[in-house]
Amino acid sequence: MSMPTTTETSTLPKNFHDAVVRWKDTYLSDFDFLIENWDQHFPNEPQLELCAYREKGMCDRIECGEQVGDPKFLRAGDLDAKRGHQLLGAIRAQASTEFGSIQQHRLTLARAPDEQDQMWVLRMMAEELRHGYQMLHLLLDDDWSSVSELSSADMVEEILSMTTGSHVLGAFNIDFDSFVDNVVFCALIDRVGKYQLAMQKQSAYLPMAESMPQMLREEAFHLATGVVPMRKWVTQAAAGEVYVTLGSLQKAINKWLPRGLEMFGDERGGGTNVRLGLKPQKNREAQELYYKEVAKVVADLNMRYLRARLPDLSLAQAKKTLARIVEGGEVVGGIAPERLLRAPHAHFFRRRGEPAFEMVGVDGEEFTDVDEYSRHLSQHLPESYLASRDFRSFLELLRQVDVGDVAAAEASRQAPSLRRVGGTCPCSKSVRWVVEATAPAVI
Amino acid sequence: MVAREDIRIRSLSEIDIGDIVEIDEKIGGEYRPQVWERRIGYYLRRDPEVSVVAVEGDRVLGFMLGEVRSGEFGLEEPAGWVEVLGVDPDCQGRSIGRALGEAMLLRMKKRGAATVRTLVEEPMEDLGRFFVSLGFSPAPLVAYVREL
Repeated sequence: MSMPTTTETSTLPKNFHDAVVRWKDTYLSDFDFLIENWDQHFPNEPQLELCAYREKGMCDRIECGEQVGDPKFLRAGDLDAKRGHQLLGAIRAQASTEFGSIQQHRLTLARAPDEQDQMWVLRMMAEELRHGYQMLHLLLDDDWSSVSELSSADMVEEILSMTTGSHVLGAFNIDFDSFVDNVVFCALIDRVGKYQLAMQKQSAYLPMAESMPQMLREEAFHLATGVVPMRKWVTQAAAGEVYVTLGSLQKAINKWLPRGLEMFGDERGGGTNVRLGLKPQKNREAQELYYKEVAKVVADLNMRYLRARLPDLSLAQAKKTLARIVEGGEVVGGIAPERLLRAPHAHFFRRRGEPAFEMVGVDGEEFTDVDEYSRHLSQHLPESYLASRDFRSFLELLRQVDVGDVAAAEASRQAPSLRRVGGTCPCSKSVRWVVEATAPAVI
Repeated sequence: MVAREDIRIRSLSEIDIGDIVEIDEKIGGEYRPQVWERRIGYYLRRDPEVSVVAVEGDRVLGFMLGEVRSGEFGLEEPAGWVEVLGVDPDCQGRSIGRALGEAMLLRMKKRGAATVRTLVEEPMEDLGRFFVSLGFSPAPLVAYVREL
């Protein structure tokens, strides 16, 4: 990818760059394999470099909020406490997600059924490493002492010490069970990333805004890394192949979409970020656009499946047939509505936000009995996920909410996560279950 | 960037695959999803900002795919290459192709391209006129082909 003429490239100070390289050797040991085989899989495409990019010439006036039109902030020390705190939380959360996703993807990368899909995911992981590097650059290129008691070096160490279970956002603390997770995660969770990056491109803190364009370019490919294999899999499923069925894809969508929706933060929030000029949209507004986009991805997958199953249909006939099945509930050509994919209801299986711990089914149906809801979940989530600590924790909290021992809002805050606790002392590096006193930062 | 009427030009995205497959089928009469999955995957890897789509609401009305690259035919300086253009036949006459072309040229310039090139088959006079209207002129270059 050619860089815009206005892009500046830089690297971290050597000790931090080396720390990222060591992290890469631990969690992304296939990085060198990717580089060695780059030309075979991505011929004539510029090879990835571990560096930070800043795009110059971007809007230098605050683009939203109470100070719209004022000059953007160039240094962290110029930020007021509230804005600085919000921004620093967003940078650390973003960094955490970038490194966290690599730790998730690595678990099942080797199980990819197709070499191209595997290399695409591997490249995506390497680019996520660069995104994490970009966020560390923001932490190290400025003085955050007016906002945080932790030094930049300590913040970097904290981020590089996180492992699956200790990351800031829930979606990055859930283990992958198969390569289907790699792909569906790219299609759904990276899509949230696209929204966050697009919003942060307008940040009142100019270095943040300047960091976004290249990340957004790379993120566009990450979404394709999810959607293109899904399109291939539904086609293969239509031909009767049994490797990745529509059923298993649906369950993976049900597993990840609720977590993706929660990554936008509570539906009622986000106003502070807008007022402070850090993002142009409140949480609900961005989340609704995201959900609509996911619905389009699902509709396109259904069309791909239908046309593979009924190849003699013209385009117009295929559209009518899909509408009869999805909207009319008819069975056409042996395809029943329940065979096709759908985006689960936005309140399904939620543990954070406005509908947290409401017992809402995939189609929006409401449950009043926890056991019945548990059975519903078990029918609609991947079997391997049901055995996870994450799911068990959800059900235990749900039962407490149901009997009135804990309010839903409190349960959201109490949702335990594996976190690194303590400071930067080497003896505190172990990760353990903790219950937070306050809600985790949401970006 | 706002174009004609309520048409918006934005960067290519993977969610456009289905709509582009549909436009291609309307133009050429053939359903070729794999072709577009591969090609759009390529452009998204190369440079998703240079390739553009025209949308009205959620619907893609047209697309233009291309990239900036160096080293073609011994030309070392970065040059833009316009490679594919498609407009929904139901939406032709709304200057969608022109809006796409103008947007792509701007994006290529930002990418450092000093020139932009494309190839048009001789019988496609309309397409040739379209590029001339965008400021292109015939290049002193003859394409040679041999069947193998």
